[in-house]
Amino acid sequence: MYHRPSTLEETLALLARPDVNTMPLGGGTALNGLALEVPEEVVDLQALHLNQITRDGPLLRFGATARLQDVVDHEWTPPLLRDLAHAEAPNTLRNAATLGGTVATADPESGLLAGLLAHEAAVSIAHVGRTEEVALSDLLADRNRLAGGLITSVQIMLGGAGAWERTARTPADTPIVLVAGHRTEEGDVRLAATGVAPAPMVIDVGDIDELDPPSDFRGSSEYRSHLAAVLAARVVTRLTDGDGS
Amino acid sequence: MKINVVINGDAYTPDCQPHESLRTVLRREGFYSVRFGSETGETGAAAVLVDGRLVSADVMLGVQADGHEIETVEGMAPRMSMHPIQEAFVATGAIQSGYSTPAMILATKELLDRNPDPSEAEIRDALSGILDRETGYLRPVMAVQRAAAALRGEAVPDIQVAVVPPLSYDLGGETIGDPSGLPAVFPKVVPHPEVPETTVVGKPEFKVDALKLAKGNPAFVDDIEMRQMLFAKVLYSPHAHARIVAIDDSKAVALPGVKAVLHHENVPRVRYASGGQSYPNPLPYDQVSFDNKVRYVGDRVAAVAAESIEIAEEAISLIDVTYEVLPAVFDEVEAIEEGAPVIHDEDGMEGAHDASRNVVHHISADVGEVDASFEQAHRVFEQTFRVHQVQQTPIEPHIAIAYWDSDERMVIRTSTQVPFHVRRMVSPLLGLPVKQIRIIKPRIGGGFGAKQEMLIEDIVGHLTMATGRPVRYELTREEEFVSSRTRHPQTITYRTGVDAGNRLVAQEMRVVANTGAYGTHGLTVQMVSGLRGLSSYKSPNKRFRCDVAYTNLPVPGAYRGYGAPQALFALESHMEDVAHELNMDALEFRRMNWTTVGDPIDVAPQLGEGEPDDDFIPVVTSSGIEECVAQGERAIGWHRRLDPDWKTPSDKPHIRRGLGFAMCMHGSAIPGLDMGAASIKINDDGSFNMLIGATDLGTGADTVLGQIAAEVLGVPLDDIVVYAADTDMTPFDTGAYASSTTYISGMAVKRAAEETRKLIVDRAALMLDESPGAIELRDRHAWSTDGRSVSLADIALSALHQEQQHQIMGTGSYVSPESPPPYAAQFAEIEVDIDTGQVTVKSLVMAVDCGVPINPVTSAGQVEGGMVQALGYGHCEEMAYDDNGRMVNARFGPYWIYRADEMPRIDTYLVQTMEKSGPFGAKAIAEIPKDGVAPAIRNAIADATGARMDAIPFTPERVWRALQSS
Repeated sequence: MYHRPSTLEETLALLARPDVNTMPLGGGTALNGLALEVPEEVVDLQALHLNQITRDGPLLRFGATARLQDVVDHEWTPPLLRDLAHAEAPNTLRNAATLGGTVATADPESGLLAGLLAHEAAVSIAHVGRTEEVALSDLLADRNRLAGGLITSVQIMLGGAGAWERTARTPADTPIVLVAGHRTEEGDVRLAATGVAPAPMVIDVGDIDELDPPSDFRGSSEYRSHLAAVLAARVVTRLTDGDGS
Repeated sequence: MKINVVINGDAYTPDCQPHESLRTVLRREGFYSVRFGSETGETGAAAVLVDGRLVSADVMLGVQADGHEIETVEGMAPRMSMHPIQEAFVATGAIQSGYSTPAMILATKELLDRNPDPSEAEIRDALSGILDRETGYLRPVMAVQRAAAALRGEAVPDIQVAVVPPLSYDLGGETIGDPSGLPAVFPKVVPHPEVPETTVVGKPEFKVDALKLAKGNPAFVDDIEMRQMLFAKVLYSPHAHARIVAIDDSKAVALPGVKAVLHHENVPRVRYASGGQSYPNPLPYDQVSFDNKVRYVGDRVAAVAAESIEIAEEAISLIDVTYEVLPAVFDEVEAIEEGAPVIHDEDGMEGAHDASRNVVHHISADVGEVDASFEQAHRVFEQTFRVHQVQQTPIEPHIAIAYWDSDERMVIRTSTQVPFHVRRMVSPLLGLPVKQIRIIKPRIGGGFGAKQEMLIEDIVGHLTMATGRPVRYELTREEEFVSSRTRHPQTITYRTGVDAGNRLVAQEMRVVANTGAYGTHGLTVQMVSGLRGLSSYKSPNKRFRCDVAYTNLPVPGAYRGYGAPQALFALESHMEDVAHELNMDALEFRRMNWTTVGDPIDVAPQLGEGEPDDDFIPVVTSSGIEECVAQGERAIGWHRRLDPDWKTPSDKPHIRRGLGFAMCMHGSAIPGLDMGAASIKINDDGSFNMLIGATDLGTGADTVLGQIAAEVLGVPLDDIVVYAADTDMTPFDTGAYASSTTYISGMAVKRAAEETRKLIVDRAALMLDESPGAIELRDRHAWSTDGRSVSLADIALSALHQEQQHQIMGTGSYVSPESPPPYAAQFAEIEVDIDTGQVTVKSLVMAVDCGVPINPVTSAGQVEGGMVQALGYGHCEEMAYDDNGRMVNARFGPYWIYRADEMPRIDTYLVQTMEKSGPFGAKAIAEIPKDGVAPAIRNAIADATGARMDAIPFTPERVWRALQSS
């Protein structure tokens, strides 16, 4: 069953039904393509006009149905997020996949999520009768916070500088480990990585030894830990040498 | 539900199910240019424009498109004309199989609509969502550049050959200008003085199938609609090794819409070997259509035909199978050890060397006195290498449609490289005589050996026999990875003895090969490994020993290169390291020892090429290897390997740079076995129908063969109407494999054309009152020596309608006693991140001697695309398994094939030699590009870092570990 509601209220009502397995449909690259879970019903978000990218002073708000290509193309998108949104998928999928979908599916290998974590992104989640703002890091750690709700936007504070480093089989391949870093204008550095845990996560240079990454055919746990240390050091060097952008 | 969409400017209201992809909906509406490559959208073969944005229609639901505007390539140009973008794709040679060409053309349109003058990086980004297994992306990028220029109103040059001056010989007074200023789209050819002038041969003619491919016209297996057609699905084994104790199909049979459920209890048990090879197929016959045992995860259990794919899928899930799970073995060395699980323990197992030890074949070849020579050698070196399993990944997976025609003959329209073998092989399985079967190969979307197999034709045939209705079966992408065919893994040991002057005195190659659950090409692939692994260098004493092991892995089969890429990775790595140990320049060491004109190819008769008892030892009849090396060295900048500032850049402390080389030698067809045939007849207007058995799988074979005919008949290529690979209509051909089509089928065409030409000349002599010896054919006319002429059209009208009427028609067939080797020099430039092990390939250069390239554009395309496939083999692709033998990365993302926006520089030189035995001097080119890339990269890594890899692929962790231990 397919729904295309035109109001948020209708959408939330459809999603909140306890007896019908219903999923929101952004671009479809994950839901239709990967068929991670086959829902009984889908709620297409395209008529909600949640695709706007807006700015309020230093607060940059990406509407949840902004496509990854919209994130790449928008003049306000910081270079770190532009690069990582671009690296996320080829054009045929960037033109469909949405930022909200990227957050909702919590792809463990999403460099863009690592970049958003480094930017201390927050996620707005609408529920019937209320909207809450959750730190992306908290949402990735506990995806139950999304249950019955809908991501409406993802927001970051502009300013500072970013840098990223990755190791992959080929230049455009999904990285085995990726480290994204952001330095605020006050000089605080925050790092996040993919490939070291079941989901992208914030890491601390001092605690990399404590990581216990999952192994797969592209990288053992030991190797991934090694990469995290090497790449984190490079990102920090670039951020502190002023090489970041 | 009904949706409202505008497609190419017209309003449509198709009915669609909520779960159906936009691809499915568009195809059902007749937009066949939107093609299946994968369910997950990465291939982009189904990319369309939605409100002007390029989107993969695999991952978009039809219902999501409600209210939107869609563009497909069908909307771009009216009949009998092409859009400038389509013209550019044709002219540059950007089209091989053409399966994904419509998507690329739409990507180009989308890009140029918003950016009329894009940079190369922007072009590559625009093509990044469309995977191409064929061109290496070079010519598609050139096509976009050419289209952009044309749409900006600029003049675009006619495509010509860029003639490159030879470096190692002179042309006898002829001088050639500097080609470096010519457009990169011109294929680079180094001429040879012995090659005669030709009119059509040697020219960059457009492909004869270009129009239908550029326009996305229905031309592939799936592009026909059959009324009452059923859809097949196959239940595949979830276990690597198990007996089927019981199978209960009652729930599946009872499901409404299910028309047949087949498995080992209701299909006759007829033993066969699935490899598409000449009669008699090599033993063992170790497969049946459905067995009571499964031998790998992905093995067949049962098949269903139903009214829809969804019903068929549901029926599959309702088949209740009780398995007795058996221990499994995956490694080839472990499989032949004492106590390993026996994979083929069934009754009637014949033709395997020792099935009780999982040794399906034991192959040996000996030349000279090997043991004595090793004892007398000045120094002896031994090394062991491991090569892994990869998949061909044609973007069009295996697909076949079977139906009864009105004469109640079985027609199978299938994506195959071997239509005639399929007809012969499927006949006993279906219990139908050959005369009652017709196999049609339409355009196919790549094969690379995976389709040199009778893989699914028996399934659709059985289901059509069971139901009386047309049945279609298409593999999913995961099934294509797991349940079709792959490249053989091998463990390879080389031992080489040299004398005090560093010349080879003995060389031994020992291989344990992994043929997975079934033999299929297990014998012949490994014979080619031995042949190619022991033919590049002249050693008077040689030995090949090979055990081919059954394991519980998905089945290896034919993959472009056919045993040579495995062998040459090991050989060229070994030769590099022997030279290193000898303190010699690795290229000089090879040069001292490589074979050249007159040298015997002495292991060939023992390894399937000729009769072992025969005294005939083939010799090298032409070689351009010296010139290939000279061109390649210049193009890659070989001198930089001695420049420490370049190799260790001061601004990138963790980067090391290196250059590597590999020498390649291949073959042109299987001598004494591969056969091609052709017939040519004249039409009223002096054009010709050419019927050939040869199987163009995107390579341009139909075009090259047409050029050969056109050259002989004195007409332009577009006067030759080519029809191919239909067992009812065309003469026999063994099929598209073993680098045989240009060399073998080309000679067959040449003979057929010469016979036709003789009849034309006789008729012209009659009409001009001349002796036939004085008649020449050119420019669509027959000319007398005194300058009088009669057109071919008048000749045809005379012969068909007016005087002493008869059909001017010629036939020809050809089998070659020899297999002249193409040679090539492969160079690679790489960077290694020594802290992470990440290898970045910066540049690949191949200079190849394929004799005379009949079509330099399609030849260059073969090299470019082949090199990129070989790059994947060496650098990133691997089939990875869990402990239970289940492939964990059977999807394009985690498997990874190279994308347009991450390609190294690719450079190709076609070095002419005049191969007297080939048509107009041609040798083969299709497979040799697969041979040298992995060892060249490996040797470049050694050059950069000192790490000497003994296994592929060079993924970051493997290289990092090698760096740790070196």
